Amino acid sequence: MAARRLHEFVRALRGAGVRVSPVEAEEAFRAAALLGYHPRDRFRETLALTLVKSQAERPDFDACFEAFFHFEDADADGSDGDSSDPVPAAPSAEEGGGEGLEPAAAALAAQDPSRLDQTLAEAAARIDFTAMQVITQQGLYARRLLMNMGMGAVDDEILRLDASPRGADQRRAEQLRDWRSQVRERALAHVRRQFELHGRAHGRALREHTLRAAPFRELREFQQVQELVRRLARRLARSHQRRQKKARRGALDARRTLASSLRYNAVPVELHWRQRRRLKAKVLVVCDVSSSVRDAARFLLQFLYAMTDVLPRVRSFAFAARFDEVTEDFDRYAPEVAVGRILDRVSGSGTDYGTMFQELEARCRGEIDRQTTVIILGDARNNDLPAGERHLADIARRARQVFWLNPEPPSRWNSGDAIMARYQPYCRAARRCASLNDLSRFTDELLRRLD
Amino acid sequence: MKTRIDSVDDVTQSFARQGYICDQRTALAVYLAAQLHKPVLVEGPPGVGKTELAKAAAGFLEAPLIRLQCYEGLDESRALYEWKYGKQLLYTQLLRDKLSGVLADTESLEQSMHRLGDLGDAFYSETFLEPRPLLRALRAEEPVVLLIDEIDKADQEFEAFLLELLSDFQISIPEMGTVRARHQPLVFLTSNDQRELSDALKRRCLHLYIPYPDAALEQRILAERVPELDAELREQLVDFIQYLREQDMKKLPAVSESLDWARALVLLHADSLEPELVEQTLTLVLKNEQDAELARDLLPHWFRRRGAP
Repeated sequence: MAARRLHEFVRALRGAGVRVSPVEAEEAFRAAALLGYHPRDRFRETLALTLVKSQAERPDFDACFEAFFHFEDADADGSDGDSSDPVPAAPSAEEGGGEGLEPAAAALAAQDPSRLDQTLAEAAARIDFTAMQVITQQGLYARRLLMNMGMGAVDDEILRLDASPRGADQRRAEQLRDWRSQVRERALAHVRRQFELHGRAHGRALREHTLRAAPFRELREFQQVQELVRRLARRLARSHQRRQKKARRGALDARRTLASSLRYNAVPVELHWRQRRRLKAKVLVVCDVSSSVRDAARFLLQFLYAMTDVLPRVRSFAFAARFDEVTEDFDRYAPEVAVGRILDRVSGSGTDYGTMFQELEARCRGEIDRQTTVIILGDARNNDLPAGERHLADIARRARQVFWLNPEPPSRWNSGDAIMARYQPYCRAARRCASLNDLSRFTDELLRRLD
Repeated sequence: MKTRIDSVDDVTQSFARQGYICDQRTALAVYLAAQLHKPVLVEGPPGVGKTELAKAAAGFLEAPLIRLQCYEGLDESRALYEWKYGKQLLYTQLLRDKLSGVLADTESLEQSMHRLGDLGDAFYSETFLEPRPLLRALRAEEPVVLLIDEIDKADQEFEAFLLELLSDFQISIPEMGTVRARHQPLVFLTSNDQRELSDALKRRCLHLYIPYPDAALEQRILAERVPELDAELREQLVDFIQYLREQDMKKLPAVSESLDWARALVLLHADSLEPELVEQTLTLVLKNEQDAELARDLLPHWFRRRGAP
């Protein structure tokens, strides 16, 4: 197997979302060269050791490996669960009927299934599938693949036999055409697999870009969103983790430095530093989960809980018709499940922000202090009920800060029964939050303002 | 140190001789690490033998093992080197007379300073250097196996500092200059995934994940480490442990727990797992009270399952 095959594999891996640096790829080539490509299990583990850097990436790697080294496997055990069946050799010419085929074509047509797959694999190795970008290119690539196999010679023979006046020749042409279409199926299946591997990688970056800007409502459809949310959150958490550590060393601790210097004849050999008080931020999140805001709430909670590294103490509440604490649900269940459970409990119509603030205050009176950040997610559509802003004012006075996230555009914050203007004065900031981009921007701001 | 490693099987066999039974993946990692001179980052749940792996590798390569245990707040002076301040002070005190003698014939302050400057290096020399594990590994006369245990417990800054060491195998001591490794050590880093390690560190390492062993492998491990245990009982024990690992527990039993349990059963002269016996010895396997509670509830289920093949 040429190094190019491995290069392509690395590209396919990157397409599947596994990050591989050039150095790592180089290591993988060296390791593969050292241990060889057989047995297959060992080859896979060799690549995994050098290319996979966390257990979470392992399933992606395995799937990619199976798809990519498909042929290398096929020649080992014959059948491979492929969608197209192995193609038997074309039936040989009838007894005494017709003249023989031209040698190159005859040799190809006479290959047994495993030999034919081998030929296909070799032909495929000469094509750069990584350039494939759109699904409609598959026909083109399949044709190129067939030509690489030497199918041109067979095509010529079919044309020649078709033109022959003899019945036997024409029947033979029919047989060959039939055989050829089977081989084409097989080639097409291979090309499809390659597209899965490479073509998708091109689309992926673009799609992610779109997903991040799409409104939450539309995101529900996409499975990979979960993964994207998790990744965004982790990236953010990591950058803040570093900052937090750096900021921790405080001023010189004169008392301890002096005390320890006594051991060394009053020479301050060891310097001691004050440690800044560790971040003890508490975050209270209150989410409106009525149907208009539910999607945003789900992503916000998912985001916050993905960052337990830097946000250790998050308490969350949900309200629609009722108000309840939902911290437990998110601790115990995956976000999708948790949201379902929460909705069962609190859903209904008629959000009442005034009562919600009242209940929040009653429930967390002792809890809200100078370390507490309160985040409220909602559209402030109060169904013309009393606003109850004095409760929010009370909360805001005791808390460190209050943020308001609204999924609607600012122009509609005060239209209809929405009363953002009544609440906004008590918030340190009110932001629009309608897409993952908004969310990640807000979380960044939040983390910055926690200390 | 062994300089030639013939094959992956070579590693497996040597490990087996030392009583360290592992799957092919693990042996492969050691082989590749030795051949490519790359550090290995070993991850996996606690108690699956991550630290043991480094010891077995040291045994296999016939090289000494140097171990650095990481913890929060670990810094260079604990990991790399430190000056023996006490000794330096003591020496300056004791040598005071000698020093005044040396400086006796100097006329000006500047001249004395100059002369002291010539001597200064004496106090920052080998005599006063206290090498810590990392420096010891670099300066060892023969190749060594360096185990950096629980790197996830150390701070991020320390991780960054390690990067330099792991890529070049050299460090600089301001007073003495650069120390380059005489022989590149074989490095194992272990992590329990307490925090995410940086990509830069992961990039420099081979990544090995050791999961809980499957039933067959665990049986082999037990057979090797606790040979006194009856074969049938061993099969039962492994089956029970594997069953526990499928449950939703706070702390799943690891290999070390099965070993403890097996040894206890040998001491108790048990010849099969009985409900009563299991209940009495369960705390050896499950260290969390809630888990033990759950296991007690599940016991009848498991025995029923065993009863009906």
